[in-house]
Amino acid sequence: MKRQIPLLITFFVGTLLIISVFVPPLGDLERDFTLFFDIIAVFAFFLGGGNLLRIHLMKLANRRKDWGFSAVTVSGFLFMLAIGLFKVGNPGGIAEAVDAEGSWFKVMFDNVINPLQSTMYSLLAFFVASASYRAFRAKNREATMLLIAAFIILLGRTPLGVMLTGWIPEWMSVAQIPNLAVWIMNSPNLAGQRAIMIGISLGVIATSLRLILGVERSYLGGDSD
Amino acid sequence: MIVEPQQARVVIPGTVRFLLLAFLAVVVSITSTATASEPNADSTLLETQQVEPVTSLVAQDFKYDNGERIELFWVPSVDDRLVDGLVTGYEVYRTVNEGDPQRLAILPPGANTFRDEAAEIDSVYSYYITTLAEETSAKSVATEPMTSEREWLNRDRGYLFLIAFVIAAAVIFFVETAKRGKKLFIRKIAGLEAIDDAVGRATEMGRPVLFVPGIHDMDDVQTLAALTILGRVSRTIADYDSKIFMPVSRSLVMTAARETIKSSYMAAGRPDAYNDDMVNYVTDEQFGYVASVDGLIVREKPATIFLLGAFFAESLILAETGNSVGAIQIAGTARPAQLPFFIAACDFTLIGEELFAASAYLSDEPKQLGSLKGQDVGKGIAMFFVIAGTVAATISYAWDIGPVNDVLDWLNQVFSSN
Amino acid sequence: MEHFGLWVGAFLTLGIYSFLYRDNAWYKLCEAIFIGISAGYWVVILFWDNFYGKFWIGREEEPMLWVGAALGVLMLCRLVPRIGWISRWPLAFIVGATAGLWMMNYFSSNIMAQVQSTIMPLLGEGYSASFGEIVGNFVIAVGTFAGLIYFYFSKEHKGAFGATARLGIWVIMITFGASFGYTVMSRMSLLIGRIDFLLGDWLGLIQ
Repeated sequence: MKRQIPLLITFFVGTLLIISVFVPPLGDLERDFTLFFDIIAVFAFFLGGGNLLRIHLMKLANRRKDWGFSAVTVSGFLFMLAIGLFKVGNPGGIAEAVDAEGSWFKVMFDNVINPLQSTMYSLLAFFVASASYRAFRAKNREATMLLIAAFIILLGRTPLGVMLTGWIPEWMSVAQIPNLAVWIMNSPNLAGQRAIMIGISLGVIATSLRLILGVERSYLGGDSD
Repeated sequence: MIVEPQQARVVIPGTVRFLLLAFLAVVVSITSTATASEPNADSTLLETQQVEPVTSLVAQDFKYDNGERIELFWVPSVDDRLVDGLVTGYEVYRTVNEGDPQRLAILPPGANTFRDEAAEIDSVYSYYITTLAEETSAKSVATEPMTSEREWLNRDRGYLFLIAFVIAAAVIFFVETAKRGKKLFIRKIAGLEAIDDAVGRATEMGRPVLFVPGIHDMDDVQTLAALTILGRVSRTIADYDSKIFMPVSRSLVMTAARETIKSSYMAAGRPDAYNDDMVNYVTDEQFGYVASVDGLIVREKPATIFLLGAFFAESLILAETGNSVGAIQIAGTARPAQLPFFIAACDFTLIGEELFAASAYLSDEPKQLGSLKGQDVGKGIAMFFVIAGTVAATISYAWDIGPVNDVLDWLNQVFSSN
Repeated sequence: MEHFGLWVGAFLTLGIYSFLYRDNAWYKLCEAIFIGISAGYWVVILFWDNFYGKFWIGREEEPMLWVGAALGVLMLCRLVPRIGWISRWPLAFIVGATAGLWMMNYFSSNIMAQVQSTIMPLLGEGYSASFGEIVGNFVIAVGTFAGLIYFYFSKEHKGAFGATARLGIWVIMITFGASFGYTVMSRMSLLIGRIDFLLGDWLGLIQ
């Protein structure tokens, strides 16, 4: 019973949404689902946010290693809740948008979250370099193909590509690195993208069917109660 | 299925109806333009430049909807030009059941279509467009009164239905065949063969396993695929008595992941070893989550890391940090843009479709494996049409052979029905 | 205030970069701030945008929204162990809807569209293609075919089939290489952006 009801819900909802593609009066179901999902996600946040608080408060209470950082996390979390939910420090008061210009909430986003986001993102520059080094030690034929293609595309986007192969005569112009880069992007790259996308689509379809038909049920706690 | 009762009537094809309406609109608009060009009695208007109204205004029921959409098409005013143009915009007006006109929208110069998305089936609508200029305006001829219609079946998607039906039927057929005990061959997938060894390694080294299910929520099939793989992986972890960490960036994923791991531990006969803290919520913020997982990796030094699900820019940050602590990494995503980074930085990568096949493969259940065979039928169909379509297009464009042209037209029609 | 904000931004930026050297207290502090503040930020945004904006304001005009709220409340049953299993219902709803939606979206916008765009004349319209274009068109058709063969699960990759699958993985690897090479440059510009912030906005060394 505890297992059958969820399986029935999945089957019914999934089938209904598949049918809705072919039956225009059901066309709004997709929008309704998105709305429902957004609303459920808010309630689910009680569980997530609660878990975050519980973990860090436990760490604090037990004075476990690095408990001071947990204190920072909890304070930051509660501070944002206070200034966001009650719109403290918002020039327009409770009626104004939460992220109105000049509000404490917006100031925190601009001066704390934004620089942290951008910096974490920019770490990619370093990691791309180390990953390139790893890729450049091509271990097998497949990795070598990846490396050569990456190298040509990279050179093709810089003036170096023109400098290196600019001397190649016009009738062989396809061998000039910038042209070769364009050819790779437009031909083998396109073929690979298509094969990958068709494969992914079939994978999504089969996975969806397995879920809807109840063949795959591990996400619901498998066969246990 | 509920079908709308249809009265016997002569059906005029949509194209013919459209042409008739367009013809009528042109005739009416020519007549009205002639009337409008007669000398105007109002002397104040003579001082400002006149603007011409839009012509050929046609209102048409939107095909295959719930009866809430009506589309308008028109030819913009002749004064709507980039150079020396007079038009500053257009106003769309609607009258409902011959009531007062209501303005629906103001559109910029150059506009020639509008879709009314708030129509109701029982009402009668008429539309007109007012062309706006600096100090004057011009009203178009109103459309004939019309109603919007509800269609119960989207006939444009007939071929989509057919192909979807064939592929879905193939998947179901092979699932059923496998259930009846027929042995199906499935080739080995390297990344998945490595899972047992990778978890075993963690146990031997006394270090934990880290499972990252991507950064999307439960409304992404990649996350669902990751959770189904988690079901198999956590069973192995429970069997080997390894430790698992699973930080997540979505509350719903946290709930579902706990269910999944818990049931694996129960199936392994070790419910007492399960603990809710194996899965913890961090933050919904993409890079905040990454900062935390990075910290976790360098502090806990997991022996094995699974990066499975929907990944974006963080793919490489996580994979390279995992590399720095010498973890065995098994990654997989259906985001083609991130796959190269996983390939460069991880030991095994499940490329696109392999991510979705993984849980079926790992389950070793005949019915799950059957679905993989069904997927292959889909691939076979796609490959057939790629080759047949290319051959037909090549012959058709090079030699213009009638029957081949027909085949090509048909193929284009089939695959554009989306 | 603006000046203070710059200093905070610089402190956090350098703290995160310090991780590249090794894990340390500065990074841990930045991480703790990031998690706490951003988690709070998202609760607030979810509350005002989704709960207030989508549910509370629209609930009278669209009574259907109460279904979403009811499912949300069921989700909270998890907090009471005895009835925790009821929270599987909203999960089952989400899984069913996601599976149904994605399945049809991938059918229409991927399989159909990808196959359609592969149907093209190898020689161009009326032999109009250049030699390079003909080779390119040929590579697209054969490459797509071979790539799909690589993903075939129910047949051993041996003999001619195996050779085609190998060709397929080469094409796929070239695709990944192209994507890799294309992205490297744009990632570098992210770093340049942060250096610009530190040296320009914060220290004023560059204009």
